[in-house]
Amino acid sequence: MLKIKNLHVGYGPIEVLHEISIEAEASEVVAILGSNGAGKSTLLKTISGILTPTKGSISIEDIVINGSEPSKIVKMGIVHVPEGRHIFPGLTVKDNLLLGGYFRNTEDNKKNMEFVMSTFPILKDRLNERAGMLSGGEQQMLALGRGLMGNPKLLLLDEPSLGLAPKITSEIFQIILDLTKQKEMGVLLVEQNAKKALEISDRGYVLVNGKIALSGSSDELKNNPEVQKLYLGGKNV
Amino acid sequence: MFSLFFRGLATGSIYSLTAMGIVLILSTTNVMNFSQGDMGMFLTFIAFILLMAKIPYLVTIIIIILMGIFLGFLLEKGLMSKVRKTSHIGMVMITLALTMIFEGIVGIFVKTPTLFPPAISGGPIIFGTIIMDRQDLLSLAISLAVVIILFLALYRTKIGIASRSLAEDEYAAKLLGIPVKNIYIFIWAIAFGLAGLAGIIVAPRLSLEPTFMLVIQLKAFIAAVLGGMNSVLGAVVGGLLLGVVENFVSFYIPQIKDSFSLILVVLVLLFLPQGLFGKRETRRA
Repeated sequence: MLKIKNLHVGYGPIEVLHEISIEAEASEVVAILGSNGAGKSTLLKTISGILTPTKGSISIEDIVINGSEPSKIVKMGIVHVPEGRHIFPGLTVKDNLLLGGYFRNTEDNKKNMEFVMSTFPILKDRLNERAGMLSGGEQQMLALGRGLMGNPKLLLLDEPSLGLAPKITSEIFQIILDLTKQKEMGVLLVEQNAKKALEISDRGYVLVNGKIALSGSSDELKNNPEVQKLYLGGKNV
Repeated sequence: MFSLFFRGLATGSIYSLTAMGIVLILSTTNVMNFSQGDMGMFLTFIAFILLMAKIPYLVTIIIIILMGIFLGFLLEKGLMSKVRKTSHIGMVMITLALTMIFEGIVGIFVKTPTLFPPAISGGPIIFGTIIMDRQDLLSLAISLAVVIILFLALYRTKIGIASRSLAEDEYAAKLLGIPVKNIYIFIWAIAFGLAGLAGIIVAPRLSLEPTFMLVIQLKAFIAAVLGGMNSVLGAVVGGLLLGVVENFVSFYIPQIKDSFSLILVVLVLLFLPQGLFGKRETRRA
């Protein structure tokens, strides 16, 4: 579904991503691993249209999307849930969710809202509260729910576990996994927590200094000595 | 006593209308809009021409608001959207340039302060000891109606809620596919619509000349600071409060009548920099 070919991205004269080629299919969780500054978030920002690549192409279902406005890319079914959640703290939970479906019609929004409520029942009781009053975990659920309101084919998740307790992280990861199967949605998961990410993902790519250093099925990656050493808390870390 | 309060409220409602325009623009587009007052002045000048041509008052007001909306649209579409990517200070300079252009244009035609006809004539309304000017009553009523309409628009309509989201987090709004460009147009249109309305309401009390809105613009800034600079509700309350307090001060201590609002802004910034309604970060984690 998602095909990225030979992608180069830079901020001004500095190139951050080099020769990136990635694919992701529906109903599949693809993990993007890498240390701080490897270019993971840059990759997601480029897919969602915030950044424009200097070279290469990004296509979804064989339609090239790079160079399009973010609003067009969202309409095509790619929704980016950013790092740090970026919910609107002064708006109510309900308004936050509705904005996730800004370009959908009222009927779709109603249906999607019901779906989000059933996935995250916790939000249902707090619909009229200001989103800034939610706990960190609830805010992450809101950010996810807001993304789901766009009814995405492909969800880009940037560090959903950031700042969350392990128990809540597991809960959220389980939900992500269920959603993928249930909605036949593809997920591109950027995570620092490589161990957890490899547990729920089908495949993974390892980014090092803006290049793909390694790729393969999650089981392969889990057993790769290099990955174990660098990202899974091996002895020499 | 009540007359003083009422007069202050009426003056304050003009500050509020102008301050709302400033705050709306600042919070969503991050541009300090210096042209809010003079846009009102220019539109009031157009209104003067229309009224002289015997166009009914109500029709004139509607034309002026629509014209403000159109000019806001034109400004965003034609200038701001082109400058936004390259220079932020450039956008602020544009608003300053607009004040000079408008003052220049009107200055060609209006050489001396000219009386502007009130919307309703007739003596003041008197209840016992309370004296209320008709034009004051009208400006309060109109302001109240506008505030209600604006709040409904900002809190109940899709584009209004999206505008508020843009003010909170532009990056997130973009990621959700909110058409940011259209929202900028929407906000400038509203702000300049408000500008025209404020001008035409206040003009009969002052008089029409190229700089007659400068004082209002200054007071509106102060009202906005008082309200916290990023809250529309704050701008409304700040404006009314400033109008009332200022009126009392100028009655009891006329010596500091003109400097009072400036002293006030210093005090607010010293002791209450967030203003009365400024958003504190109430985000957890």
